[in-house]
Parts: sequence; C-alpha cells; structure tokens
Amino acid sequence: MKQPSEMTLFIVFLIVNLTLPSFGQQALHFYNVDQEIRVEGKIQKITMEPRYKDSPPFLILILEQKNTKKLFQVEISPVWFFDYDFHRGEHLIVIGSLYSSEGMGQNIIAREVQFRGETLVLRDEHGFPNWRGGKGQMRRKGKGKGKRY
Amino acid sequence: MADSFSLSFSQNMTNNLFQNRFAEKDQLSTFSFYLDKNLSRLSLYAEGSYSYLFKNPNLTYYVQDAGMDYLHPLNEKSAFYFSLAGRGAFYRSDYSDFNYLSANFFAAFKSYFSQTSIFKSNYSFEYKNYRDSVYDFLSHALIVSFDRYFQTNTTFKGEIDWGYKYFLHPYIYEGEVPIEGHRYFMGGRGRGYSDKQGQKPYQTVTQTEGQGLQVFSLSGLIAQGLGNSVGLNLSGVKQWVLSGQNPFSFIEEFYAVENPSYDRFSWDGYQIGSQLTFLVPWNIQLKLGYTLSKKEFPGIESLDLEGNPLGLTRKDNRNQIEVRTEKNFPQFSVFLSYSYISNSSNDLYFDWNGHFFSLGIEWNIPLGARQ
Repeated sequence: MKQPSEMTLFIVFLIVNLTLPSFGQQALHFYNVDQEIRVEGKIQKITMEPRYKDSPPFLILILEQKNTKKLFQVEISPVWFFDYDFHRGEHLIVIGSLYSSEGMGQNIIAREVQFRGETLVLRDEHGFPNWRGGKGQMRRKGKGKGKRY
Repeated sequence: MADSFSLSFSQNMTNNLFQNRFAEKDQLSTFSFYLDKNLSRLSLYAEGSYSYLFKNPNLTYYVQDAGMDYLHPLNEKSAFYFSLAGRGAFYRSDYSDFNYLSANFFAAFKSYFSQTSIFKSNYSFEYKNYRDSVYDFLSHALIVSFDRYFQTNTTFKGEIDWGYKYFLHPYIYEGEVPIEGHRYFMGGRGRGYSDKQGQKPYQTVTQTEGQGLQVFSLSGLIAQGLGNSVGLNLSGVKQWVLSGQNPFSFIEEFYAVENPSYDRFSWDGYQIGSQLTFLVPWNIQLKLGYTLSKKEFPGIESLDLEGNPLGLTRKDNRNQIEVRTEKNFPQFSVFLSYSYISNSSNDLYFDWNGHFFSLGIEWNIPLGARQ
C-alpha cells in the first residue's frame, strides 16, 4: 500500500486540528485597546492569582512606576510563570491595557514586556493572547525550531 | 474552535548540511502550524512541521506533535506543571530509518523561596521508537536549579542535571566490508562521501541486550541587565559521563534535521557561552552570541580519512558565533539569523566549518477569547 506523503500528513493534521470542538470561556474583564498605557518601573512583588473563570491562575507582578511611585498589578500570563523568571527589584517596561477594579486598584493586562534587552510579546494589538501551552519552558515560540548544530 | 493558531515559514540555507569535511550546500524550507485549546487548567496543543530540502529531497520530513499540559498552583508562590506529549517524525524513503514515534512526560515544580530567589526542579521521561531499532531508547532526566537576583540587576543561577539514557536494542559490530568509492559506512546513515548520503549500513551486526548511558552536569549562569535595553548573559556547563558509552560507530549532526546518533547524552566535556541582547530603535531585538565547547564522545573511535582506526576517542572543539534579529509586528513576527561554526576534531572527517542563514515569519491568528 502506498504510504501518504509528508505534505498530505501536514494538510490532514492541519484540518483535523482546526476543527477541534469549541469550549466556551467567560472572562471577567477584557483588553481595552483605548485604555492602553506604557509604564516603566520596578517589580515590588510577584504572585499567582486567579483572574478569569475556567482559566489557570495568572502570574501577577506588582510594579512600582518609576516617577510617580504608583503601584500597578500587571497580569502576565498563566504558562509564562514557568517560562520567564522575574524577581523583585527588576526593571521592566510594560505596555498594556489599564483597568480599575474594586479592591484591586490599578491593573494592567500586559501586551508587551521589555527587560534586559528582550521584548516579550504576550498579546497582539487587540489583546488576543499570544502565549502557548505545551512543554513549559522547553518551548519557545518562533525561535528557529529544529536547529541542531 | 482552538484558542490560538499560528502559521510559520522559514527558509534556511547552509553550505554544510551534513556538517562534515565534505561540505554540501542545501536549502531547507519549513512550514509549520501550531494551535492550542485551553480547558481551565488543562491545555491541549498540536503542532505540525513540514521541511523540504531542495538538494537532498530524500531527507524531507514531517513532524507532528500533540499533547496536553496542566498547571497546578500550590499557593501564590509555587506551582506544579505537567505535560504529556507525543510526536511522530516521518522521513522520505531513503531516510525512513529515522522515522520514529515518541512519548514524553514532563513534570516541573517552581517556587519563589523569596521574592528574589527561585527554586525549580523538573523531571522528564522520553521513549522513542524508531523504524531502525538500533536507535530505540528511553531516558530520564532530573534537573534542579536555584537562582538569586541582586539589586545590582544581576542574577546568579546554578543548576544540577542528571540524566540516564537506555538504548533498548544496540548493535555490536562484528566486521567491516569496504565499499569502493566510500570512506566507510558503519551503521546508521549518511556517513561517507557527500554524494553517497543515505547508503545502507554494510557491517555485520548483532543485536544485544540494552545498554545504558548516565550523565551528570553542573551549570551556571550570570545575567546582567544594563538598563531596559541591554542584557548580558554568561553561562557555562560541565558534563561528565558517569557510566556507559555511545553504542554507535560514529556520531553526526545534520543542520536543522534531527540525527538520532547525537543528543545531550552523547558527550563529556564543557561548554561556555555569552550572549548580548539589545533593543534597538523601532523595537527591534538583536542578539549576539558566542559559544565555545570541548566535547569528547565516549565509545566513539576517531578514524583517519581512509577509515582506519586511530586508537583515539573522538574529541571536538567548537567555536560558534550567532547573530539574530527579530521584529514583532501586531499580527506577525519576522526574524533573521546567521551563525558560523568552526569545528575541529581529531577525526578529520568531522573537521569542518559552516555558515547557516535563516529567515522566517510567524503569523498569529487569534481565535479564542480576548481575556
């Protein structure tokens, strides 16, 4: 029997995977592009907190703004708790959507984080998540997969 | 519907695909897709990658990954992470001995000892079943690391790594039958003059009991932030083979194509590296890296160019420089990278250098909720 070609397998898996069943999620708040701000500051605290229904807890950074000393709670992502190691005292630049909530003060849903010469893109310009699951810190998005030399 | 979906394409070029003395140019085009679906703390994902080689189309391959991962927080400072994944790799006919199915289990624990120090530990198990059973193995790896950040914007990190790889069906070689026009072929694939890649092994072999290989390594990292726009990393790893040796007659690496004779268990030695990262205007990321390594391959005997044993264990010294730039746009990201490798070896067949270029684009298509 003739074996399927690699290209056939690629197309079949693409179609099958795209038609995976849908499971609804309910968010408590959304990324508002009209409320986007840029904050530069220093990490004061790192914690994991539940933020969305039916979603794992998020990595939250408490950031002290450089000039105003105002505190912001910055939502990073769930999976990246394992991917990147943030520490108290580190300097960051965060671009994200600002929202206020009762009892939680000023919050930022991070879209982009810059530190140590690197940019971490967490969401696209409309706020849709960019992060990935799968194998935790062993995966890196778009980093020249498969090179072995 | 999936939550996230991305397509990527990369074009890779090299003047030394098989990374040996008889450099052979080739280009490799890779098309990939990735998607995932989050179900509370469980995430399902799938990834497919098709790679076509222009001058060596018989090395063309497709790799499919699928798996699930699960994040389990213990408290606000600690969490467990588990992943179960499967992979299938399918090569064209001449390299179909490289075809494999694998299963991988990964468990990790991360905890903030304090707000400036992190403890991490992880365990991974892998089983790979190849079409050519000589490569079949299972492996275990355990890693423990600890880091600490200082107010000078410096992070120190130390890591201990133990691994055990068990070859299920290694061969014992009993004799050689020279083939005219070739230097030698000794099991596996590809070794020989560059126009004869993909020849069948010619040695008489006997399958034996399983054979284990145990490694242990210590590594360290110093990361220094120089403002928000510049970062400097210095790293080093020293690895020892505690027991066992490679069951192959030779070890080789191919550019951008997984070769089952080489992996992190294959060598004893050390590697040091440095990397400078910049954020330049227009938010372009730039990385400059240099790596030096000295590796010995237990069980692998060096040969001269006629294939005569030299009575020496193969040793390689490698220098590598790498430049990479990346720009993220709202819906897609592009990257360009170049690296140069100079590898000197006491087996002259593996005394080589090569240039490697990659250009890629990744397009992210949001499908899920905007939370």
